[in-house]
Amino acid sequence: MTDWACATLLFAQEIAPREIPWLAWFLWLLIGFFGIFPGVVAYMVWAERKVAARFQDRIGPNRVGPLGLLQPIADALKLITKEDIVPDAADPIVHLLAPVIILVSSFLVLAVIPFGVGLAPVNLPSGLLYLIAVSSFSALGVFLAGWSSRNKYALLGGMRAVAQLVSYEVPQVLSTIPVILFTGSLSLVSMVDRQYEFGWFVFSPPGFLAFVVMTIASIAEVNRTPFDLPEAESEIIAGYHTEYSGMRFGLFFLAEYLSVFAVSCLGTVLFLGGGLLPFPLNRLAEWMGTGDWPAIVVNIGMVSVFSIKVLGYVFLMFWVRVTLPRMRVDRMMNFAWKYLVPLSIGNIVIAAVWFEMVLRDPIKRMAQVEITGDEYIPPGIGVGLKGWIVTGALVIALFLTVLRVNRGSHASKIKEITESPIPLPSEAPALFARAR
Amino acid sequence: MHTVELPVSGSDIPLAWFLFFAAASFSIGLFGVLVRRNAIAVLMSIEIMLNAANINLIAFWRYVAPPPGEGINNGVMLALFVITIAAAEVAVGIALVLLAYRRWKAADVDRYDTLAG
Amino acid sequence: MIQSIFLLFSAIGLMAALGTVLSRNLVRAALWLVAFFFIIAVQFVLLEAEFLAAIQVLVYIGAVAILLLFGIMLTRNIQGDETTSASLNTKLIFGALGLALFAVLATAIVSHKGTPERPAWSKIQGRPDDEAGRDGVLTRKDTINNMAKTVGDEMMTRFVIPFEIAGLLLTVALVGAVALARQVGADEPIDRVRKAGFTRDDAPANGSPEGVAEAPGAVASPSH
Repeated sequence: MTDWACATLLFAQEIAPREIPWLAWFLWLLIGFFGIFPGVVAYMVWAERKVAARFQDRIGPNRVGPLGLLQPIADALKLITKEDIVPDAADPIVHLLAPVIILVSSFLVLAVIPFGVGLAPVNLPSGLLYLIAVSSFSALGVFLAGWSSRNKYALLGGMRAVAQLVSYEVPQVLSTIPVILFTGSLSLVSMVDRQYEFGWFVFSPPGFLAFVVMTIASIAEVNRTPFDLPEAESEIIAGYHTEYSGMRFGLFFLAEYLSVFAVSCLGTVLFLGGGLLPFPLNRLAEWMGTGDWPAIVVNIGMVSVFSIKVLGYVFLMFWVRVTLPRMRVDRMMNFAWKYLVPLSIGNIVIAAVWFEMVLRDPIKRMAQVEITGDEYIPPGIGVGLKGWIVTGALVIALFLTVLRVNRGSHASKIKEITESPIPLPSEAPALFARAR
Repeated sequence: MHTVELPVSGSDIPLAWFLFFAAASFSIGLFGVLVRRNAIAVLMSIEIMLNAANINLIAFWRYVAPPPGEGINNGVMLALFVITIAAAEVAVGIALVLLAYRRWKAADVDRYDTLAG
Repeated sequence: MIQSIFLLFSAIGLMAALGTVLSRNLVRAALWLVAFFFIIAVQFVLLEAEFLAAIQVLVYIGAVAILLLFGIMLTRNIQGDETTSASLNTKLIFGALGLALFAVLATAIVSHKGTPERPAWSKIQGRPDDEAGRDGVLTRKDTINNMAKTVGDEMMTRFVIPFEIAGLLLTVALVGAVALARQVGADEPIDRVRKAGFTRDDAPANGSPEGVAEAPGAVASPSH
């Protein structure tokens, strides 16, 4: 049951034989981590350019291959064949180490994502914690990239990036706590299991709020517009990767899009039910006797559903990117600490209310059913409705409170500044004279 | 009084190895605290010592049975509290170093000698 | 196999620890420290405490190391080179002291004598095989299988007072660190203006022209 690489998803069937874990890991490394994920990244770049072009009424890449489909390959060739330049004053080892750390961090995040039944590379009992831990590596890599370049702009960008990553990690982690609360476990596989039983977590008021907070924080975590201050090209050239060129820059590029993919996968698994269809449709599949279907059919279905959700999530990020302008540094910090953090902390309490009202009783009965073997009777719709009304009201109240408190402090600040006796510039000489 | 049977597994790591590693790291940390003059480097060495202690705690948790009546998880819990306190210590320590740096324009611990007679 | 893994990582860990205390460049030292923290996480995994390993990486590499790096940036020249370091003699003396401490500790580890119920440390050649707990009795195996859950349960039952105290300590540390490191008026334009002596109330008292001349940056601030 608690074997490290065991899958409990849906029907606990697996494609890769559990008896040979080395083979399964080898396949994952070879196909997933060296084949599929870099390919996904390459075509995400293409998709982003196409999407951005559509938003700006252009066509986008269309020269290399049909629809510009070979453009990523051409780009990759260009990056690989470019000269590898290391600045004279740079710290050579750290300069090389920095992009590698960032890339490793983005790859490691993908190691616990359950893509389908038994399709999680590793099912750690504390998978979510592992995920948060390895994604915090990237702050270190960014800092080292900025420091080792011996360049003012790189250092500025690195400092900005670390401040931003550290600040937005807090709401990102806090907004996963409702999910941990609902699941009672840190394993991502059991999170998908719980959503199979009770519907997607996004379909509850606290879950929805957590989803929104987590999406915003994730966009900031992967340094994309409107939070791309670390690499704001109009302010600090290119931030921490100013002094990188060729394939070293390519590694940053790969890591950025890989982390976009990874946070999309994470959001999908935590809130959008992973590879599951919406709640009633899964029951339908059960009635049709899916239990006898071979695992491979179930998995193809699940992975397709998963991919569609991830694509939607990624599209949302592209959409935000091409629509919103960049934030100012102080506003970005304020937004994290004064809006997102209070929202996600309050949301934990609301999630506890939802758990008590809606989830606790069915979970208990489900556990009993497993022991006694009786038929499980799902709770009536009334329980869910009551929970929805109460927690929905609480969520709205929390949102308005946070907004009001912040507006209030903002207004008092403005009042202080405007009403304080600062003389106009023209009055200053007179003041000097008086003081004398 | 029964005698505890020792497991006979030739390929496992002996407990003493972990203890030796922890002892060596602790000694290195102590060396660093004594030999370094920069305040932040001293903080780093203290972190090494705390981590070495944690290794000991977890190794004893895993290898040795607790006395009867004690919880099974004491080693893990103590290690968690050590991590918590180390984090708090670093935060306050860095703040103090910053403050001292502003006051004396130096980050070396032996330059803070205002109280010396 | 597992023994050689342990030896390899321990060697790297000791090297990293030495690098931390000996490296002259402070940022390099911090990097070695990160490597050391990572090796500690590896040791936790070898001890079947992967929850603690994740916590270790999260807290130490994700937070403490970054904090230390920021501290280095804010107190030193940007490149982090240490200008002062102890003389060779001091290093030798303290190195001998460290070796002596290690000798004492190693002797203690080797010469530990067990009781009939608790064998000597040097005799424990492998970890005991545990059974999963039945009837709600918590065993070590349960902790290994799901450490997050058992640790959480313990935090809320036996260790609730230490847990609360730790929370209090963290809050105090947070507030204390902010209060200590905050430069008074650093981010308040209004205070800066007041200090420069431009407010009507303060102007006659301490708004001397010398004070204004000393702070050219502050003179410019009322204009925007």
